Parts: sequence; structure tokens; C-alpha cells
Amino acid sequence: MIRTALSHMKTESLVAGILLVVLLLLPLGASSWLLSDLSIYFSYALFAASLAFVWGHCGLLCLGQAVFFGLGAYAMSLVTLGMVPGVEGMVSTWLGFAAAIAVPALAAQLLGRFLFHAQGLQGAFFGIVTLAVAFIVERLFINWDFVGGLNGLMNVPPIVLGLNGDGYELWEAVPLYYAALFVLVLGFSVLAALMRSRWGLALKAVASHEMRTKSLGYDTAHYKTTAFSIGAAIAGLAGALFVVQFGFVSPSLIGFGLSAEVLIWVALGGRGMLVAACAGAILVRVLESNLSSVFGDTWLLLLGGLFIVSVMFLPRGLVGEAIHGLDRWRAKRRKGGSTPRGKAVERLSPSEYTAR
Amino acid sequence: MSSVATIVLDASNYALILLLIALGLAIIFGLMNVINLAHGEFLMLGAYTVLSIQMAGGPFWLGLIAAPLAVGLFGLVIEEVVIRRVYHRVLDTILATWGLSLLLKQSIVLVFGPGSHSIEDPISASVMIFGAPYPAYRLFIMAISLLVVTATFLFFFKTRIGLAARGVIANRNMAACLGINTRNLDRMTFSLGAALAGLAGAVIAPLISLDPHLGLGYLVPAFLAILVGGLGSIMAPVVGAAGVGVTENLAATFLSPVYAQLIVFITAVLVIRLAPGGLLGKKRRQT
Repeated sequence: MIRTALSHMKTESLVAGILLVVLLLLPLGASSWLLSDLSIYFSYALFAASLAFVWGHCGLLCLGQAVFFGLGAYAMSLVTLGMVPGVEGMVSTWLGFAAAIAVPALAAQLLGRFLFHAQGLQGAFFGIVTLAVAFIVERLFINWDFVGGLNGLMNVPPIVLGLNGDGYELWEAVPLYYAALFVLVLGFSVLAALMRSRWGLALKAVASHEMRTKSLGYDTAHYKTTAFSIGAAIAGLAGALFVVQFGFVSPSLIGFGLSAEVLIWVALGGRGMLVAACAGAILVRVLESNLSSVFGDTWLLLLGGLFIVSVMFLPRGLVGEAIHGLDRWRAKRRKGGSTPRGKAVERLSPSEYTAR
Repeated sequence: MSSVATIVLDASNYALILLLIALGLAIIFGLMNVINLAHGEFLMLGAYTVLSIQMAGGPFWLGLIAAPLAVGLFGLVIEEVVIRRVYHRVLDTILATWGLSLLLKQSIVLVFGPGSHSIEDPISASVMIFGAPYPAYRLFIMAISLLVVTATFLFFFKTRIGLAARGVIANRNMAACLGINTRNLDRMTFSLGAALAGLAGAVIAPLISLDPHLGLGYLVPAFLAILVGGLGSIMAPVVGAAGVGVTENLAATFLSPVYAQLIVFITAVLVIRLAPGGLLGKKRRQT
């Protein structure tokens, strides 16, 4: 019975489930060093998922997604360091997480309203404007002394489970690992549920043919703005998750460099599936920390080259292509067996990719 | 009076440099529908060409000639290897050229190191203008920029190839049906745009400190300039670059460089929102 259930699962969900089980069991065998590395990479993975949602699902190529990651990280740091004017006494981690979600979402809401309403900015122009936003926000934070300027903010406290900065501090490798994994799974599930809902289907329609969707009576500008804000909120959550582990926030988190990196992770992993994007981020980071000592400065060269090749020849991304291949193999095997009720991972023809 | 003259000269100097950069960007976008995020790195390559000739002991003027040639040739290769394969996917051109820009930045870091370099000022003399000394080299830059922009316009409006190119901007499919070799035109266009960026990089090299990340600081205002000016017209970047360049330079003089960028950005986005096609935009046919 379990076998039939498994064989009817979507390949994407199956892969996500297997990965989750592996990650849950990992602390049994792995060193605490690897675990603490991985728990930082989980925040990158969540960040990549937010971009995969905004770009892959909603068709909004955001070249400045790190702005929201950085805003989340700064919001978390300002709250837990007690630097918010007026409420210096409130240093709760929970309040920090709330701020890290609300501030980027609000920023994206304002930006989105401005850019999308009426006859809004189309694909490529949206990308350029978000690139300019990333460039300028980074400059602003470098020159803003209140948030530490170029040096950033140091000694950001870790997650504290008490209501106002007291109680159990989360800094040991294993509890931190599970906490980070929990936040990743939470954010991931929210995005996955949204993408599967009716609302998510409408978003997909906006991405593939905006004019047609508009004619069918959908307020596409509103859809895009809301999706952009949700993506920003998740990116902000990822930023907060990053900074409570890293303990240090600087303008390099908010600007152009990290925006470029996350784009590479998502493009290499696969923009069409959340799990592929997350795996891409973790994979690239793991490879980077292991191989950069071998390749040295040529590592970035290699990564850039791989990125170009993947854009040219593998629009699904490396992980996405692998999942897609697995899906085809499963579909072929299923044909001979019981009734093929399981729905295959949705396939995009090359022309549909062109439409993005 | 004299300080007013200096401010006006500085502002027009910056606007003319921006025009040189934005023109290449606009030609590539207008003719090929390719959004070239590596344009800033083409600029950087031009500047580093001058640097390597200076390191080899050659004169600056040789670098000034070599830079557009080298970068133009490089653009030709890139067009053939990368850009050609993503023409039909506009958003992917952004990604591919972005990847290219990372690649170029890192290559420069590998060859020249991450630190900054400087180029000797080729003309150290000053000229008296309205009683204030002004560096002669900056006047030379303005002259070069005006010359190149005029030459580009003559090319587009007075030659047969220029006519064909404008035909492609107006309607690519129709132009191809009428027997224009769009493939060759694409090669030429991309190479020309790259060469303009290379020239701009070589020209500004003595004024700035060269580091591998200098491209972005010019790419963003240049993009804002062509968005403000409008797309699908070769005249548009002139208006855009003048607007963006003068605003940014004046704001930087009277306020601070950071506020200047913020003001330019907000104004530019407002203009883009109010006039989605840009100030001089024409309706483009969707292809």
C-alpha cells in the first residue's frame, strides 16, 4: 500500500520528502562543523526558494532580491540589539522575526504598488529597476551611520527562546541545526501551499500570459504586488535566520553581490521548482566551501561559466533537469503497471520558457 | 562666475561620458533586443586595455586606439558564442550577460589583482575658462564624446547600412523579408556597442581609479538614462543621458553623491512610470 502511495506522489514532492528525511537524520552521523555550516546554508536555501517563487512561479525576474534578505537581517539585528528608537527594551527574538518579515514585505508592497499599478513595468524593465534598487540601497546602507555604515552591526545575539531576550540561547550546533531546518521547512511549505492553491494558479497564469489573464477579469497588478511582497517576506525571514547564526550584518548582505549569487543558485538549481532552487543553493555553497581551497580564485570563474552554460542550454537548471528526468522515468515505468492516476511534474515546453 | 563655469563644465562632462556609454547600450538594445548587463564590464575592459598598454610602456594614445578595437573584437566573439543562442529569450539575455559580467570581473581580478590602479593623466595642462583653470583633458573628453556621437548619428542616418539598421529597429521581420542580412547586422551591432563601451572606458580611465568593480557604477545610470530617454530611437539616449547626467552631477555637487544617486533614481522611476515609453519613446512592435 505504501508502495502504491509512493508511486502516485509527484516526483517533486517525493524528492523533497527524501531530502527532508536525509537532513533530519544527518545529525546522527555528521560532525558539528558540517552541521553549523549546513544550518547557515538553510537560510540561503530559504532565500533561494523566495526567488524561485517570485521569478520561476510569478515570472518577475528580480535582480535585487538581496535587498529584502538584507532588510530582514537588519530588522532582526536592530530589534535584538535594542536599537529601535522608542522601544529599546524590547529585544525579543520573536519580535525580531516579526519585524524581519514585516519590514521587507512592506517595502516590497510599496515598490510593487508603484511599479506594477496601471500599465506597469514589463519583465525586463522590472529587472533593471530592481537592479538599480539593489545598487542604491547598498550605497544608502554604506552611508547610514545609524546602522553602522560600511562596518555593519556586530554581536547580533543568537535565537533566544524566552519572550523578551531571556531564557534558553540557541547556539549549540545540533539544536540550531534543527531550528534552522524547521524555519526552512516552514517557509518552504508556505510557498509550496501558495503555489498549489487557486491563487497560485492565477499567479502562474499572470506569469505565462498577463494580458489574457487580465482579460479574464483578474487584477494582475494586485496579484503581482502581493506575490512580490510574499517573496520579500520569505527572503526577510531567511535574512533573519542568517543573522542570528552569523552574528554580524553588513551592507554586503543587502546589495548587488548577494543578489547575483542567489540568482546563480536558483538558475543552477532550477527556477521552476522550489526544491530544485533550495538544493541548488545548498549544493553550490557546499561545493564552494570544499572546492574553493582547490580552485582558489578560479572558482568564481567556474561558477560564472557554469551559470552562462546553464542559461543557454538548461533552462530547467541542473537539479531541475535531474528531477525532470526522474519524473519521466517514473512515468514510463508506471505505464505498464496500475492505473496511472499520479500526476506527473508539470512539464514546460521550450516555448513556455520563452514566454517568461 | 568662475565656479559656475566649472560646475557647468563638470556636469556636461559627466553627461557626455554617460552619453557615450548609454549610446552603446541603446544601440544593442534597440537593434537586437538584448539587454546587456555586461556593458559596464566592457567599459572596464577598455580601461584595463589602456592600463596594460601603460604597464607595457606604451603611450596613452595607443591605448585609446587599442581599447575600442580590442573590446569590439571581444564583443564579436561573445556575440558568436553566447548572445546568438539566447536572442529569442529576452529575459535570458539579462541572465547570460550578467553571468558574463561576473566572469569578466573575476578574470580581471585574476590577471590584475583585486586592488585599484591608476592611469597617468596624458594631458596635465589646464586651460583658463572664464577666469578659472580647467583641466584640458576633460575638455578633450568632451570633444571625443561629441565627435563619436556625431559619427554614430551620421552612420545611422546617412549610410545605407545605417538605414538597414534603422529598418531592423522598426520591424525586424519585415527587414529580414526585404533581404537585409539581420545576422550580419547583429554581429556588427553588438561589436559596435561593445567598442563604444571600450572607448568610453579608455577615455575615462585617467580620471578614475581602476578596480574590477567599476562597471556597475556606470551601468546603472546608463540604464536609467536609456529608460528615461525611451527605447527604439537612437536620439533617445541623448535626452536621457543629458537629464540623468546633469541631475546626478549637480545633486552630487550641492548635496552628496549618495543623495544624488537616490534623487536620480527616484526621478528616473517617476519618469518611467509617467511615460512608460520614455520621453522620446516610440511604440515598438512586439516580436
